[in-house]
Amino acid sequence: MSGYTCREVVELVTEYLEGAMTPEERTALELHLHYCDGCATFVDQIRQTAALAGGLPEERISDETREALLAAFDELRRE
Amino acid sequence: MIGPSGVGVSPGDALLVGRLREGDGSAFDEAIAALYAPMLGVARGYVRSRSLAEEVVQEAWVAMLEGLDRFEGRSTLRTWGMRIVANIARDRAVREARSIPFSAFEADGDERSVEPERFHRVDEPYPDGWRSFPRDWRTLPEAQLLGRETLDVVAQAIAELPESQRVVVTLRDVHGYGSEEVCEVLDISPGNQRVLLHRARARIRNRLERHFDG
Repeated sequence: MSGYTCREVVELVTEYLEGAMTPEERTALELHLHYCDGCATFVDQIRQTAALAGGLPEERISDETREALLAAFDELRRE
Repeated sequence: MIGPSGVGVSPGDALLVGRLREGDGSAFDEAIAALYAPMLGVARGYVRSRSLAEEVVQEAWVAMLEGLDRFEGRSTLRTWGMRIVANIARDRAVREARSIPFSAFEADGDERSVEPERFHRVDEPYPDGWRSFPRDWRTLPEAQLLGRETLDVVAQAIAELPESQRVVVTLRDVHGYGSEEVCEVLDISPGNQRVLLHRARARIRNRLERHFDG
């Protein structure tokens, strides 16, 4: 089993986090993370990036759009 | 209500669909609260301008309402609605021509998650290893890590992503959709979805790194 280089690891983080690796690949990657603080930090940064995106405020609906959608809904009700 | 595939409508969806069909105003508010932002996110994956995306959402909303009688629960109401948006947005993108061709959803080429200069060259010691490690963000003061400025950087980075990456990361990370649902809505393979998600996250991470490292 050949190990991954750091340059390879940074391309594989989402495969890893999504559970899309084979058991062998996963073991090799985790071994790398165990010994490499740089890559462990990178994985953590990707996790935090995803979490920060999840903390964005929702895009608000504009009044005009809301009115238009409600009008379509009311029309359906009248049918 | 049992669909041809034998999968029934979930009780929550059935209730909401029933209330929407009866014209229940609170059902309208619920549906808009749950669906509007992700619908807009999907639309913006195909058409460039916000105003065009809003038009697409309006068209999709009408198509959804008109199609409620045919909703069979082969997917959730949410997935079904998102697929309608994606289809309408795709048609619109083709008509507008200036929007991205659908083939742009094929993840292609060579996009590096981290600049190659950050790693040692192959003729140096530690080939392809970090020259200097990225900074541990857990050591940042929480007010900085989670502050308004940081969220602005994330929002700006997402806005500047290529459309295919933006729609995937918006559904997955901003709205918390699962990978299967995103593949179903966008009609892309799981592998393709992961590539687009990773490229999006890597680009946002790069922006955050520049922000934190000043």
